[in-house]
Amino acid sequence: MQRLPGVGPKTAQRLALHILKRSETEVQTLAQALIDAKQQVGLCSVCFHLSSESVCEICRNTNRDSNTICVVEDSRDVIALEKTREYSGKYHVLGGVISPMDGIGPEQLTIQPLVRRVSQQSIKEVILAISPSIEGETTTLYVGQLLKPFTRVTRIAFGLPVGGELEYADEVTLARALEGRRELD
Amino acid sequence: MYLKKLHLRQFRNYQDQRVDFIAPKTILVGNNAQGKSNLLEAVELLATLRSHRGSRDRDLVQEADAIAQITATLERQNGISDLSLTLRRNGRRTVALNSESLRRQLDFLGVLNAVQFSSLDLELVRGGPEQRRSWIDTLLIQLEPIYAYILQQYNQVLRQRNAFLKRRQETEDRRQELEELAVWDAQLVTTGVRVIRRRSRAIERLAPIAAAWHASISGSTEVLQVKYAPNVPLEQNHPEDVQQAFLEKLEQRAVAEQHQGTTLVGPHRDEIELTINETPARSYGSQGQQRTLVLALKLAELKLIEEVVGEPPLLLLDDVLAELDPNRQNQLLEAIQDRFQTLITTTHLGSFDSQWLKASQILAVHAGKLLPQT
Ligand SMILES: Nc1ncnc2c1ncn2[C@@H]1O[C@H](COP(=O)(O)OP(=O)(O)O)[C@@H](O)[C@H]1O
Ligand SMILES: [Mg+2]
Ligand SMILES: [Zn+2]
Repeated sequence: MQRLPGVGPKTAQRLALHILKRSETEVQTLAQALIDAKQQVGLCSVCFHLSSESVCEICRNTNRDSNTICVVEDSRDVIALEKTREYSGKYHVLGGVISPMDGIGPEQLTIQPLVRRVSQQSIKEVILAISPSIEGETTTLYVGQLLKPFTRVTRIAFGLPVGGELEYADEVTLARALEGRRELD
Repeated sequence: MYLKKLHLRQFRNYQDQRVDFIAPKTILVGNNAQGKSNLLEAVELLATLRSHRGSRDRDLVQEADAIAQITATLERQNGISDLSLTLRRNGRRTVALNSESLRRQLDFLGVLNAVQFSSLDLELVRGGPEQRRSWIDTLLIQLEPIYAYILQQYNQVLRQRNAFLKRRQETEDRRQELEELAVWDAQLVTTGVRVIRRRSRAIERLAPIAAAWHASISGSTEVLQVKYAPNVPLEQNHPEDVQQAFLEKLEQRAVAEQHQGTTLVGPHRDEIELTINETPARSYGSQGQQRTLVLALKLAELKLIEEVVGEPPLLLLDDVLAELDPNRQNQLLEAIQDRFQTLITTTHLGSFDSQWLKASQILAVHAGKLLPQT
């Protein structure tokens, strides 16, 4: 349990004791749900968000503005941005940020598919919503350079990072950051 | 500012030790390896979140324990602050101010200011440029706490760019990676120029103060110059011009960087030149003269922090006072008077002036315990 993100020794113990106290059927249901999720949930072939279908719900939704793409690191960021209800365009999940120390270069991310998406469709704006860490900033600059020939590229407004990534920003902060986005220079 | 209380728990060889500082000068006396320097190190950590010994957190936590805690009560003009720093054998350190834990360590810096002066500081003259860079960086962190963030960002870019250059050596297709290199270059330049400009500004302010102290201590026969020698030429002062010069130098060294697989241009290769009568201080004069130089630098730090912060910082004298001859001892004590709260360590009280011994609080240090001495 302690290997799960954000779970310390105390929480791990609480969770383990809780599970042991449940009935066997309950535990089996939980275990099966985890396995099902792992087996059924893959990545959307368009935006790379988690999805149980080959194209995710957001990509299929015709009420959403398909001329705008918001680029994020992770599926968690999509969920965080969806909670704000301030954004009605589409997404693109990079699957991480450029980090040579971790062996992650542009090839390890979904940057090529993004460039293809933007160059082949009529996209009016790409919003880069990547955390303001060094690696995030590098990724923003890199992706920005590649996309600029095709469309307008903006980035969301973030101040000094507080070790806080997109995921941790509260909804109000996030909505404001989205609203205050500016041209990438 | 005045440090009123210090509490060390499972820090180095202190199990659980409280100290009340009751005089502007406190002398910690004891044999070697009893914990004198450890106590000063705790204060230094509160001021800069760094240790000049370069210790890792796991070394700071008492053997066999998992957590160390340094807490302190500090009185400043605008009120009293409680500082707390928690160090972990495995895990990240955390800081709290007035019982509220801070999300950014940056916000902990600048509450307590201190200048550390130990015999290791002779390395400022004798050692390599990294010693002097580290010295000016530690000073800058106290003058402008945001600098800790700026420096951290630069170092992170540097590590990533080095990893990128290493990886690039191993790949065949280099054209594809030119775009990524360009972005790392841009990041190195943006973060590097901030470091360069702040270092330059700090040295510019420090140099005349150090020169004046040096003249006064050495009897104005010698001229000390503290000069910034940045790796990237800094002829112009406009950030855009420095950025341009940085990029040009990166271009010039591109082949060498590719070949060596490491970053060869940037403030991580800066030098701070110390010269006396236009001769490099390293090769100038006796140990005594080099001590005079370091003393002048330390007094300059003290005054500059006071000037910028608006309050006198603490002075931590680790074994150095006894090493100075009586004349320099007096110069130093006269400069600090009662304005700068001073913690002094020594193995013997014998070499000190009896008059100010009387005015000082004296604590005996033995095996991680403090005892008042009468
Ligand atoms: N993490 C630690 N746990 C326990 N003891 C330590 C730790 N780190 C250093 N010490 C002890 O602290 C002593 C050195 O203290 P120090 O303050 O440097 O001595 P001095 O009084 O000579 O300045 C040594 O005895 C060393 O073993
Ligand atoms: Mg010592
Ligand atoms: Zn999708």
